[in-house]
Amino acid sequence: MSIIKKLALVIVSLSLVAVSSVSSAKPFSPKKPIELIIPAGQGGGADEIARLVQGVIEKNDYASKPVIPINKKGGSGGEAMTYVKKKAGDEHTLIITLNNVLTTPVNQPELGIDFFNDFTPLARLITDTFLVWIATEGKNTQGVETFDDFIALAKGNGLVMGGTGSMSEDELLLGMMRGQFGFDAKYVPYDGGGAVAKGLVGGESDFTLNNPSEQMGFYQSGDSKALVMMTPERNPAFPDVPSSYELGYPDLEYYMMRAFMAPAGIDAEVEKYYTGLLHTVYHDNEFQTFNIDDGKLMSWLEGFGLKDFLAIEYAKHGEIIKNFN
Amino acid sequence: MDVFILLLEGIFVSFEPLNLGLLIFGCLIGLFVGAMPGLGSVNGVAILIPITFIIPPTAAIIFLAAVYYGAMYGGAISSVMLGIPGASTAVATVFDGRPLAVKGEAMTALTAAAVGSFVGGTVSVILFTLFAPPLAEVALRFNAPETFALMVMAFATFVGLGGDDVPKTIFSILIGLALSTIGLDLITGKPRLIFFNIPGFLHGINFLVLAIGIYGIGEMLWTLEETKGKVQMSKLSVNMKEVGRAFGALKKTIMAMNIGSFLGFFVGILPAAGATPASLMSYGITKQLSKNSKEFGSGVPAGVVAPECANNSASTGSMLPMLTLGIPGSPTTAILLGGMILWGLTPGPLLFTQEPEFVWGLIGSLYIANFFTLVLNIALIPAFLMVLRIPFAILAPVIFVLCVTGGYAPTQSLHDVWLMLLFGFAGYILRKLDYPVAPAVLSIVLGPLAEKALRQSLILSDGSMGIFFDMAEKPIAAIIMYIAIVLLIMPAFGPLYRKYIKKKQTT
Repeated sequence: MSIIKKLALVIVSLSLVAVSSVSSAKPFSPKKPIELIIPAGQGGGADEIARLVQGVIEKNDYASKPVIPINKKGGSGGEAMTYVKKKAGDEHTLIITLNNVLTTPVNQPELGIDFFNDFTPLARLITDTFLVWIATEGKNTQGVETFDDFIALAKGNGLVMGGTGSMSEDELLLGMMRGQFGFDAKYVPYDGGGAVAKGLVGGESDFTLNNPSEQMGFYQSGDSKALVMMTPERNPAFPDVPSSYELGYPDLEYYMMRAFMAPAGIDAEVEKYYTGLLHTVYHDNEFQTFNIDDGKLMSWLEGFGLKDFLAIEYAKHGEIIKNFN
Repeated sequence: MDVFILLLEGIFVSFEPLNLGLLIFGCLIGLFVGAMPGLGSVNGVAILIPITFIIPPTAAIIFLAAVYYGAMYGGAISSVMLGIPGASTAVATVFDGRPLAVKGEAMTALTAAAVGSFVGGTVSVILFTLFAPPLAEVALRFNAPETFALMVMAFATFVGLGGDDVPKTIFSILIGLALSTIGLDLITGKPRLIFFNIPGFLHGINFLVLAIGIYGIGEMLWTLEETKGKVQMSKLSVNMKEVGRAFGALKKTIMAMNIGSFLGFFVGILPAAGATPASLMSYGITKQLSKNSKEFGSGVPAGVVAPECANNSASTGSMLPMLTLGIPGSPTTAILLGGMILWGLTPGPLLFTQEPEFVWGLIGSLYIANFFTLVLNIALIPAFLMVLRIPFAILAPVIFVLCVTGGYAPTQSLHDVWLMLLFGFAGYILRKLDYPVAPAVLSIVLGPLAEKALRQSLILSDGSMGIFFDMAEKPIAAIIMYIAIVLLIMPAFGPLYRKYIKKKQTT
């Protein structure tokens, strides 16, 4: 009995060694704290997710070294991207993306960023979308109940739209809608999505294109209402808001991706480690619950699928920018 | 009144053992974080947020609010003792706190800072308790034109800041404004004034880099020259007579306390302003309205009380839009807001009714935190005073190290350290040439806020300046604008008026 047991043990341990030596010569693990670069300011959407990821990793000890979020908000992400580009081969740097990583290399060619060769995409965790918001008691949008009402009103009158800054996602979206529906608006930039939401409820702007979470408080209190969500389907967090597909505008589809990238030139082992770490975070209960309640779409994507997605989005944004100017 | 019942419940919540322990611990961490140059409440709260995932939301917010609060007190310590602003919110405290310490009245300066902070914090939390919902409405109506008018008012008070030499003051303001335009264009998002294409300029000139450079390095060079490396002050005794004198000096600071508390709170509740502009504006206005405004900058207790009172008041005030509107009133509350969302709360108009324990626990804890930080501060003054007994030859390298860390910490870029050293040297030379540097520091903080508000307003009005003077449509903006113009003209006509009076008396 005991001989068999011992034998079994030896076989098991031998096979374990064999398996581990086949899968990896020496698995990577971080040797110092991991820098997580955020190409936006503190308190915004990307910052929120970055700090949530940091919190989930620290709380559950998913990584052997701490994750340190660092905000580099300059140059619409240009500062952060330049920083990560210079870190080529560094095994302890990650960057979370906003869509500005797709637009800034095009808008600021002087930075010399090559989106496809300066970074190693790891995984996409979440996509966020946009809704068209008006204030419930907006003085210029009285009587607007549906998105079609809104288009009719916006065509005749120069409405004021609050947004998060020049060439940011919402201004590009306004450009897209201008092409599709033939209305234009006066664009007033604010500091971040929260201030945009406040400007709407405070009566300074007539409509906004906010993320779900940015208007959540005002939506729940009834101060603001959404006319359309730019996705194929309704979102469980906003059951009464129609999707653009339902309304017959399938071209009005737009996503903000929350993906993670590493610098270029890292080993396959390192890439695998971080993708695995992000995968663990993605399946964490708390992470899932938080994002679903917040109206975000959980949308894991890695490897070639992610590379294709990025290529399509990059081309799409290039097109939007070209039409915009 | 149900407000009082809710408040009492809130205070009980903050006396629960876990909450009270975290509150005191938070105050201590805050004091330390605030006193260390380069580490401010923003960094402190950001670093500690992951820890709060393991405790209930109410305990978490009480802890982080205590850190925020303690940092407002702590910032004054290094401002007074070393002449380096411990945090951006304590820059204005250097203006008079440092001269007081050099005169041998560090005790008075520290007492004024602690008591001022306590008064500001308490007044604002009372205002918060009584008027939160109507004030949220005010914050909601305070948009771009109103913000710009307020900024013009702030600048108007600065002209009087540099003493009688108005041209030199204006020069200093313009230098600050010019530096504040470096980085990204706030409206078009395009980079501007990026010298030699150095990427470090993309994030602009960090205000702390300028302040630590001018006050930390500049002051160090200046003191080295003055003291030749010897002990700055040898006679320093802490006895009851000194304590009595320190408290006696507070009698003259009642006006500063009023201005600091109310102005600080008001500026705090406005989105995107926060404690740093509040403390600077409070200093400017107190000086402008003071009978002995000429003595400001040479070490008067009111000059310490005004900014310290305002920064605590503003930090409480900035929690109001955070809780009721879901928008941050300051950089620190931006992080707290992120924390609240992560704890599963939705900040916004419904928070007060949906999460009363959280909201009132926080408000209750602010009363308690105020009291504890005051006691801690007064008790620790003798320990802080030890710093002045160290020979400056030993202190100077310590200050230098703190300045370098302080310049590096906010952005983690060496670029900023070089800039800081450059500003330090420039500040030293400007001081030798008798140029006031405070207005430059103020302008670099308020410049971007003013520029953004101005350009937003002009987009709304299609380029017409009339938007700022429209009594019917935007009465708040118009009233503030007119006050600003009066304040701007006052210092120009003041000397003329005095001359006129003198002439009348002699004839």
